[in-house]
Amino acid sequence: MGNYLVKRLLSMVITLWFVITITFFLMHAIPGGPFVREKELPPEVIEALNEKYHLDDPLYVQYFDYLKGVVTFDMGPSFKMTGVEVTDLIKKGFPVSAKMGGLAVLFVLLLGVPIGIISALKQNSWIDYIVTIIATIGVAVPGFVVATIYIYIFSSKLALVPSFGLESAKGYIGPVLALAFFSLAFVMRLMRSSMLEVLGEDYIRTARAKGLPEFIVIYKHALKNAIIPVITYVGPMIASVMTGSFVIEKIFAIPGMGKYFVESVGNRDYTVLMGTTVFYAALVIVAILVVDVAYGMIDPRIKLGD
Amino acid sequence: MSNKNISPELWEKVEVHASRSEEITRKSLTYWQDAWRRLKQNKLSMLGLALIIIMIMFASFGSMFTEWDYSSQTLKNANLPPKMDVVKLPNDVYGFVHREYTLFEVDETGHIIDRLEPTNSMLDIMQNKRRIYEINGEEVVLDFSFISDAKKEGKIAEKGFELTVNGEELKTVKSLWNKTYLFGSDDLGRDLFARVRYGATISLLIALVATLVQFFVGVFYGAIAGYAGGSVDMIMMRIVDVIATVPLLLYVILLMVVIGPGLKTIILAMGIIYWVGMARIVRGEILSLKEQEFVMAAKTLGASTWRIIARHLVPNALGPIIVSLAMMIPSAIFTEAFLSFIGLGVPAPMASWGTLANDAVKALRSYPFQLLWPSLAISITVLSFNFFGDGLRNALDPKLRR
Repeated sequence: MGNYLVKRLLSMVITLWFVITITFFLMHAIPGGPFVREKELPPEVIEALNEKYHLDDPLYVQYFDYLKGVVTFDMGPSFKMTGVEVTDLIKKGFPVSAKMGGLAVLFVLLLGVPIGIISALKQNSWIDYIVTIIATIGVAVPGFVVATIYIYIFSSKLALVPSFGLESAKGYIGPVLALAFFSLAFVMRLMRSSMLEVLGEDYIRTARAKGLPEFIVIYKHALKNAIIPVITYVGPMIASVMTGSFVIEKIFAIPGMGKYFVESVGNRDYTVLMGTTVFYAALVIVAILVVDVAYGMIDPRIKLGD
Repeated sequence: MSNKNISPELWEKVEVHASRSEEITRKSLTYWQDAWRRLKQNKLSMLGLALIIIMIMFASFGSMFTEWDYSSQTLKNANLPPKMDVVKLPNDVYGFVHREYTLFEVDETGHIIDRLEPTNSMLDIMQNKRRIYEINGEEVVLDFSFISDAKKEGKIAEKGFELTVNGEELKTVKSLWNKTYLFGSDDLGRDLFARVRYGATISLLIALVATLVQFFVGVFYGAIAGYAGGSVDMIMMRIVDVIATVPLLLYVILLMVVIGPGLKTIILAMGIIYWVGMARIVRGEILSLKEQEFVMAAKTLGASTWRIIARHLVPNALGPIIVSLAMMIPSAIFTEAFLSFIGLGVPAPMASWGTLANDAVKALRSYPFQLLWPSLAISITVLSFNFFGDGLRNALDPKLRR
């Protein structure tokens, strides 16, 4: 186990290093540079700016400086917002996004898994049909549509919730719902089908035959095996909830990471773009590692280390 | 039971022909014929297939149902809804009051004739919040002061406007479907039907190209990695990991700067990233397939590596490949919509479903129908591909063969 973790951490660092390298060189391959404006700046100003941001150093020096910066969590200053550090933006934006995303992930797991189980246990009942219909529609409707319809109905027409911001607890409902919608539908469907499959297995019949109460059969024998596909999905889900939040944050005007990311896209603010990209990549890689470790704990058949 | 007559003939011995005992009664079907037979039994996936065909027909021939081009603007006719509540004007023509409090003449079938020009001055319109029209010598007044009056008193207005002829209020007589703009018009007076149809070609094209790239590059790459194995496999899959961790947005932005924004950029960016998942699936399949006897047989017979991959391994992995293709199309449509939604989509006046949705969000409160059509189109297409893909998976799975 320890050996495996070390190996995984090492490969994680290498992947991250690749991502940083690719991002860095791609960004520097862009023609034009960050100081190209409609109105051309005088050459002295450009020179001064280049010196200030160390853009006059050779590329490899800049690269190693950047690598050093990432390790010490100092991503340099923003090119477009004067006096703002990328690290500060992440520190400010990430807690907001993480709170929203975390709530969405919790919402998905706490609601999706039980509903999926109930739907599988009561196969072909009306509950099952409703769940199937919701799950089918849920994976077909984009999150931004859910968000706009939600704002239209609950905020414009009924005036029950604020249409933007996270100042009140009510403000969280919309973003979390829109963020969780797709994943919730997917988890419901996944849980239902994998539960149905497991319930048909011989060991479930054995457990029932030896007289175990139904509750224990379901929760101790069936669930442990049926939940594995759902856990596989959780890693990519965290990633998708995080990237999905770009749009949701834009619609609900939430000052999270996604907002800075999209803004940096629009402004061509390269350092912010690079910083947020690397941060997201790290997040995804860590999420996948956590899921892989969680695997081994739930399913003893999966041996970590292979 | 006891009354049943068992005739003596039933007890006669049936002749057994040695030749017939070996006869195959079930018609011999190839794998694909059998899959198609099972697919046909699945109603939902057939519905999905039908919807996909309808959507493709709509994209190709839908322009016949509208006189407008996707980019032709008529600013005067901006934001017209698809369904209009009309009143009877004094000259026996129907009139429709726009949400911007202007009066349109509409004929009885629902075609827009023209926007009427008020006779009072601009100053009067702004100050007294009313437009005065002269129709057949009679004075028609469109009074829209209710909302601002109510606001002054801190109340909520019961209605937005009142249309009167000589002091008598005109009531809504019926609802007409807008025949000039079947789906309504957008903020620049462009026909939404034409734009949604045009968006269908763009969105489906992007999905198709992303899928084709995925098929050719992903299958090829995955097959080589899986067949070669060892350190070649290891290096190739780490490359895949790295490509997959850099967010799609970054590729799009970079390409956007290098090539310039447009359809090409999105297709290229999606092509760069979309084959990755396919490569993983194919590699996994090939890893297990290559250990099987038929591969050894082919090798013994002296088949080249290329022949083994192309003729023996890939065809055997085709089931998962096709299912993954069918499932990837909705995801490509989603991604395109997402990119367009954050402003990285096809440039105006071109339109995709994502850009249409993005444009509609700005005016959502006043004209929700503008968001309805593109999101409906996205949802229906994604849904039908999901149905079709599900059915396909069941049909191609030999374990479920009955």
